[in-house]
Amino acid sequence: MKKILSLLMALVMLLSLSACSGDNGSTDNGQTTNPTDTTNEKTELTMGYQTDPEGLDPQRTAAASTFSITNNIYDTLVGVTSDWEIIPRLAKSWEISEDGMEITFALRDDVYFHNGRQFKASDVEFTFNRLKDAESPKAGDYENIVKIETIDDYNIKFSTEKLDVELLKWFAYPWTAIVPEEAVNNLKTEPVGTGAFKLKEWVPQQRIVLQRNDNYYGEKAKLETVKLMLIPDATSMIAGLQVGDLDIIPLTGDQVTMIEGNPEYSVVSQPMNAVQIMSLNTNNEILANEKVRQAMAMAINKDEVIEASSFGYGDKIGSHLPSTSPDYYDTNSVMEYNVEKAKELLKEAGYENGFEIKMTLPKNYQIHVDAGQVIADQLSKIGIKVNVELVEWGTWLSEVYGAKNFETTVVGHTGRLDSYAFLKRYKSDSDDYISLKTGEVDALLEQALQELDDNKRKEIYQEIQIILANKLPAIYIQAPHTMFGMSSNVEGMSIFPIDVYDFKDVYFK
Amino acid sequence: MAKKKETFYKNSSMIIGLILVSCVLLICILSYFYMPYEPNEMNISDRFIKPSDNSEYILGTDNFGRDILSRIMIGSRTVLTVGIGSVCIGAFIGIALGALSAQFKRVVGSAIMRVMDGLMAFPGILLAMMLVTVVGRGAQGSIIAISIFMIPTFARLVNSMMLDTESLLYIKAAKSYGSTNMQIFFKHFIPAMLPKLITQFSSAVGSAVMIETSLSFLGLGIQPPNASWGLMLSEARQFFLQYPYLAVAPGIAIIMTVLGFNLIGDGLNDLLIKRRSKA
Amino acid sequence: MLNYILSRFKSSIVVLFVVSIITFAVLMIIPGDPAQLILGTEATPDVVQELHSAMGLDKPLYEQYGNWLINLLKFDMGTSYLYGESVTTLILNCLPITLSVALYSMIIATIIAFIFGIISAIKKDSVIDYFSRSIMQLGTAIPSFWIGMVFVVFFGLKLKWFPISGYVPASESFLGFIKSITMPSVVLAIGEFGLLLRIIRSSMQESISQDYMDMAKVKGLSMGKIYLKYALRGAMVAPLTIIGMQFAKLVGGTTVVETVFALPGLGRLVLTAVEHRDIVLLQGLVMFITSSVILITFIVDILIMFMNPRIKTFERGE
Repeated sequence: MKKILSLLMALVMLLSLSACSGDNGSTDNGQTTNPTDTTNEKTELTMGYQTDPEGLDPQRTAAASTFSITNNIYDTLVGVTSDWEIIPRLAKSWEISEDGMEITFALRDDVYFHNGRQFKASDVEFTFNRLKDAESPKAGDYENIVKIETIDDYNIKFSTEKLDVELLKWFAYPWTAIVPEEAVNNLKTEPVGTGAFKLKEWVPQQRIVLQRNDNYYGEKAKLETVKLMLIPDATSMIAGLQVGDLDIIPLTGDQVTMIEGNPEYSVVSQPMNAVQIMSLNTNNEILANEKVRQAMAMAINKDEVIEASSFGYGDKIGSHLPSTSPDYYDTNSVMEYNVEKAKELLKEAGYENGFEIKMTLPKNYQIHVDAGQVIADQLSKIGIKVNVELVEWGTWLSEVYGAKNFETTVVGHTGRLDSYAFLKRYKSDSDDYISLKTGEVDALLEQALQELDDNKRKEIYQEIQIILANKLPAIYIQAPHTMFGMSSNVEGMSIFPIDVYDFKDVYFK
Repeated sequence: MAKKKETFYKNSSMIIGLILVSCVLLICILSYFYMPYEPNEMNISDRFIKPSDNSEYILGTDNFGRDILSRIMIGSRTVLTVGIGSVCIGAFIGIALGALSAQFKRVVGSAIMRVMDGLMAFPGILLAMMLVTVVGRGAQGSIIAISIFMIPTFARLVNSMMLDTESLLYIKAAKSYGSTNMQIFFKHFIPAMLPKLITQFSSAVGSAVMIETSLSFLGLGIQPPNASWGLMLSEARQFFLQYPYLAVAPGIAIIMTVLGFNLIGDGLNDLLIKRRSKA
Repeated sequence: MLNYILSRFKSSIVVLFVVSIITFAVLMIIPGDPAQLILGTEATPDVVQELHSAMGLDKPLYEQYGNWLINLLKFDMGTSYLYGESVTTLILNCLPITLSVALYSMIIATIIAFIFGIISAIKKDSVIDYFSRSIMQLGTAIPSFWIGMVFVVFFGLKLKWFPISGYVPASESFLGFIKSITMPSVVLAIGEFGLLLRIIRSSMQESISQDYMDMAKVKGLSMGKIYLKYALRGAMVAPLTIIGMQFAKLVGGTTVVETVFALPGLGRLVLTAVEHRDIVLLQGLVMFITSSVILITFIVDILIMFMNPRIKTFERGE
């Protein structure tokens, strides 16, 4: 008996020990089960999120989950508004040389890093060299920058090798966020930036807490604290909103009906700067045949796919630019849904009895998994048997994207601020996992890169989109919408053409 | 009087188990002859039909407009294949290993048992997750992962049973008049161990079905668009708040199957104990 | 007695060793290059190769295993690719949560199992007996995430008794802590108490039917005292073993429940590591969990030994 008692006591002690050693304190006043306090003093925003960032170092990862957060901790030289306008950030003005090969930035002199040190041009030089080094995933994008010259403490010049008329936009991406050299080794877990918020705490798998930077050079954030809670389950996420634990959450199409029309909540929705496409490996014998690809495109009822995967919250597209892009041209009528014609084309291509093909889907992304399955079902109706295989995102990256070991896949591509960057993979020599091997867009892309006249450039992109819609190196499905659901007293959350969250302008009504 | 009640209960639980399992088997067999709809056929315009709404779809449709009843029926095939299949493989290998280690007690036997201990130290789902990551997902991967998980239990069981009975007189006698080890094994050991093995087998199938369900739930098991009850539950989870009915059918199917096999296993176990105490 | 302890210790070490080999081997076969994963889609092949070498993935397997093992002994499980933190830190952060849930659910399961198990054994074939046996079977047959979902909707959303997800550390609010782990623990307990109940019931039955029970009756002791003092003590061995085993199993088996209730415990960490191919993290986690299992089993065995004099004499005779 005594033994049992002592065992029990030990267990109880262990329990209390483990309970107490739970994480070191955090500021918690948002974790209530009461619905939102609508006092004007509410300055803590609680947001739900689904994927932990892969470290908080902007030059050492390519994950969107990282940039959503780092966008608030660091700053880039220039920023972009939800209307695709470039605005000054750390750079107060800029000048592009006549030949377009150089850009000089005049930097602000009133900016301080979170560690107290003043921001200078040398930091910009350091950051961009780091961005171009071997461990940086985005290094390849910045090869065109061949010289970085610090003119003085607050002026810096970049020189490129080839003309790129959209050069400015390269400086708005979250991976160009400026970092201080002295803090570089620990940025992954101890980020130091110039942003409107500092990182107060990151407990992996649990939460991220951002705290307002009162030394911010720009307009200070209205919120004092932003608490992001990791909730991997979509059901729990929306339940959290409904119970009042969360003020704002990313929303999926099916959940919109649950809260729209309810005055306690509001929904913000906008097409993403991203496209969902069904990529085709044109090295594959069957897929190399253009008629086959066209037949497949015509057999796909995109409206149904959008209904099934986004619950209608997606814009149908016919080519590789999303509907929100300023260069977008509607090519939806090029390959319209027509099962009879699809069967005919297939016959003409010599596959009257159909064929078997593999589809690799990234399991982490429900929207692609759902779309892929519907497409597989639709293709079966013209005799094409699709063997679906779900893989981890990591495997997708190494097998499909890296080794190009695939036949078909459905995936999303995040948009860029300039269309050339987004479309350049279609150059026949791009060595990307998909491209237009027959080269029809090569010359046009080169032209676009150098065309200074905005209207002429738009025309070139229009032509490119039409070609892509006809030649179909991939079948273009939709530009899904980004949506947020929030308590109706939350204001100021915008959606941007780059995949980031920006809490600077968010406040409680 | 109490005795009668007890036997009744024990038998009744086994009977219930048998009924449940037979239902599942029947559904499975039926699925080869008739299903109301094509289980993988999508019908987006008919999605989310509740069972009460429409008499065309008895159990309603899912998020892709597929008929749930048909999917349950075809799902029974996977469940039984994976459940029974993996236990068969695991049991076979386990029994072989257990017998071997009992036979060669010193080095080989000891080594095998250590490896079994090692395997058993992994909590089930953890081992399954690790193995599935290596051998790949889907029905094949699940079967391999679950069979490996089952091996140690059977190996240990056989090993201990054989070591226990080895000193029995009649085994010694058989050895003395020249029966080979193989003969002894098949003629004496197997029949002696059979009851316990069958019991273990039945309970193991129950566990196997449970593990498969969990694997599918975590996305590591049967892959879409194939129908597996675990996968159907996982897909239902997304819409649980708006369309809870999606989770009912597969949930009940799983419970029925696992319960059925467990009850049979338990019933057999009780029978065994009774027989032994009588002996 | 010491011999027994030593021999158990020796076999535990061997098992640990086997486990480490299995863990290492299995995870080295996983497809997908971790270096490619970290660098993402845009990186060029030579960059990937550089990182690959820098991470030591080029060296021969036995060398990698050796290094890993040596570091393990120093309690250094390496640095996670995903988080950039030391694996040890990550595990220690998540451990309290998993431990709390495992403990809490064991406590609930044990209490229920004992109550119903003892009553069932004493009042065999009564209504309570049938009832307990039925729910015991049902409990093990219900998928934990299914009942978890039901709980979330019913108790969390509709009745608002408990938070629908998330973890509140006890240091912040003890009540909040208990509330946040109650539902997941109950869900787990539902799956666990079945086996325990059965063992307790059959152990008690055996114990009750022992000769010394009749002796006690003859001596004139009250029934209540008999059951508690004699029957129970004799019946404790098997249940305790099971409790120990189940607890150990729970430590590594909470993945599903943690996913449904958004608890940042070890189980979820394992899933994340698997999904992101964070080999270092996964290896560390698996080693840690299985070592805990082996440790707990070892401790339970020793405790059982103290409680069960039979083993002592058995060992001596061997």
